Amino acid sequence: MVAEGALAAGCRFFAGYPITPASEIYEVMMRELPARGGMALSAPDEISSLCYCVGASLRGLKAMTATSGPGWALMIETLQYALMTETPVVIAIVQRLGPSTGGATQGAQGDVWLAEFATSGGYTIPVFSPSTAAECHALTVHAFNWAERLRTPVVLLSDKEVGMTTEVVDEAALAIPAVVERPLFTGERPFLTYGFRQPEEVPAFAAVGGEVKVTVSGSAHDQQGRLRKNAPEVIEVLRHLERKIEAHAEQMELVRADLDPGAPHLVISYGITARAARQAVAELRREGLRVSLLQPQTLFPIPRQALERALAGVRTVFVAEENLTGQYRAVLAPYFSGKRVLGINKIGALIAPGEIMQAVRTAEA
Amino acid sequence: MAENQYLAPDAKLPYCRGCGHAAVVRHLSHALERLQLPPRSVALTTDIGCVGLADSLFPYLHTVHTTHGRSTAFATGMALAEVVLEPSGLKPVVMIGDGGAMIGLLHLVHAAQLNVDVTVLLHNNFLFGMTGGQHSALTPLNFTTATTPGGNWIPPLDLVALLRAAHAGFLARQFATDPTLEAVIAEAIAYPGFALVEILELCTAYGTRWNQLTGSTLKEIAARQGYEVGRWEAEAGRPSLRELYRRERASRPAGAPAAAAAQLPAPSTLAHEVRLVVAGSAGERVQSAAALFCRAALAAGLYTTQKNDNPVTQGTGFSLAEICLSPNPIEYTGMESPDVVIIASSEGLKELQANGTLERCRAETLLLIDAELDLPAVSGRVLRLALRRAAAPQRAALAALAAWVALEHVLPPAVWEAALAPLPPDRRTGLNEALQIGAQLVNELNKRMP
Repeated sequence: MVAEGALAAGCRFFAGYPITPASEIYEVMMRELPARGGMALSAPDEISSLCYCVGASLRGLKAMTATSGPGWALMIETLQYALMTETPVVIAIVQRLGPSTGGATQGAQGDVWLAEFATSGGYTIPVFSPSTAAECHALTVHAFNWAERLRTPVVLLSDKEVGMTTEVVDEAALAIPAVVERPLFTGERPFLTYGFRQPEEVPAFAAVGGEVKVTVSGSAHDQQGRLRKNAPEVIEVLRHLERKIEAHAEQMELVRADLDPGAPHLVISYGITARAARQAVAELRREGLRVSLLQPQTLFPIPRQALERALAGVRTVFVAEENLTGQYRAVLAPYFSGKRVLGINKIGALIAPGEIMQAVRTAEA
Repeated sequence: MAENQYLAPDAKLPYCRGCGHAAVVRHLSHALERLQLPPRSVALTTDIGCVGLADSLFPYLHTVHTTHGRSTAFATGMALAEVVLEPSGLKPVVMIGDGGAMIGLLHLVHAAQLNVDVTVLLHNNFLFGMTGGQHSALTPLNFTTATTPGGNWIPPLDLVALLRAAHAGFLARQFATDPTLEAVIAEAIAYPGFALVEILELCTAYGTRWNQLTGSTLKEIAARQGYEVGRWEAEAGRPSLRELYRRERASRPAGAPAAAAAQLPAPSTLAHEVRLVVAGSAGERVQSAAALFCRAALAAGLYTTQKNDNPVTQGTGFSLAEICLSPNPIEYTGMESPDVVIIASSEGLKELQANGTLERCRAETLLLIDAELDLPAVSGRVLRLALRRAAAPQRAALAALAAWVALEHVLPPAVWEAALAPLPPDRRTGLNEALQIGAQLVNELNKRMP
């Protein structure tokens, strides 16, 4: 469904390298993309995969690659290049159990930090996290839309359990977001590869190989793309890289919220674990407990507004995620002040609805 | 003045006096002039190092300043995109040093294998210049660098020879001072596939400081490494990448449109969620039986999920599928406690013991197992069926699933027909037999235990 979403979003370039549990995306793209006028290619490693995607995107094509934690580790250099050169690209990470080679066929939600905090300087990488096959489809389109609209790399963070479980999808009910294209240079003012008047503005794109001269640089550069040292404009460009994301954060907020206003408990969960959370909350409500549920689909930028709405009046917050250290819980901590916060964490197996229910019941008692 | 289109006439070259990079930049400019290439059809893609300072010298070309060693890969990406776009005549030209060439070696090798239309100018000055003259993988034997003060003892890589093995279409090795360099660079850029020109040159900051190195000893050093100098064009008439990609696409069988799932008039009577585990041996079609079963359930209007598991090697050991069936959308896809456990082989049994599934069985769990298996004490209702003997090992899992359908009556019998309909007739026959055997086994059981 990630591959189908990519095709629906207008992806025309895919380069991949086999890795469980992301190989299905690679195989579908190799099968489907050429037939639809695109280029799909086997790369010799993950570094090449993402470099090829960035090169193709510089040439004007919407591009994606797919990998898992070990491949992502190799891609981080090029992710930073895409960010610095304001090149749209989507990276679908299907998480597996880490660290290192870890467990190829075991699910996990352990790459939240690695996906988000992968740049020197700590720039915000938009990260979307689907919990179902249908969400894989919709969020892939969103990932492309935001990558193109903001000219930035975007991560679609699923996991083995979401990516490799076959499930029935009601095709008629699929919510397909409208497809967005990158802002193109139309010639109304002199072209600057990284030109903006306000820092939050996204520079108009011109393809390498087109009519206007493009100056791309991964080194600290001015708006024209020239490598500069000690120039205030270079610092402005760096601020702009973060500012353009920040300024669109509210629009990027995607959540599934099932709130019971006045409920003392809020369960926050994302990705595969959100499914167990939905089941748990439904059953707890049948038992008479008052519980709210928030599933962020946009993990980053943090969906602040939805989070604050969900937190209003809540006494206890549960954050359920399949990692040891509570990666997303730690990131949300600044929003939790004055509340009791409990992590529901596990590795090596799915968090079951019963485990979430038990945690809520214990807190209620 | 044509020259204005390429190297700016007033360009202040940022290189040390005598550095080979300056010669290459001038030769490149003249080569572009010779080819009369419109400046916007060149994407000058530079690597890291002194070699990466060339961008600003060519104010009218597209320039892409990249990361260390990756320049070839980014250029390859641009050229690959070109394959599916209207031809624009874009020529990516990579400028890379000997240090970058080694860190990005596989990008060079793969670009050569693809025969992608990228030209690489490899500036080989035998060391890392920008960082202080350290040893590189292309440093000649006995050469002194900042990190080989006693002389280099690691034999250098002959990149031209290596790329020849990778099917590079055009290869050349020249000295920066060769008057023919301009023509060779022009030929390389004009070549409609992968081309690399290795240019041997002096680093006058470090190379000449620590070594007896001049224009003439450079030739001796090259000769001592056994380097051939010249140009080679391999496999004349080789089809372009665009042509190969077009042929590859044309050769693919047209994909049949996905068959719409048949919806049966008689839907399933299943009122609640059921979780099944099917375990057997690799190669015995356990997971495909489960997939067929899920398609059947879908035809009866049920929601299903299927998760497979097997050892990493895939072809040996156990094979397992976990299935959820429900009249409602399914959230949690795990298996806290199974409702039905099907065990078709001893390897399947062993895995269910190992992964704790058997321990999680309850009194209400139904276990359908092959009659020959030695099942340890377990909670639940056990039914032994001659799965392997009656249906053959390859069909045991499917027969067991058919048996469950016959036992529970939650799916109308016609679901199997709907599931089999999209398959070719020859495959349907064998599967149908297994389904019938499964139903018969239940009939016999009912006769014995009415």
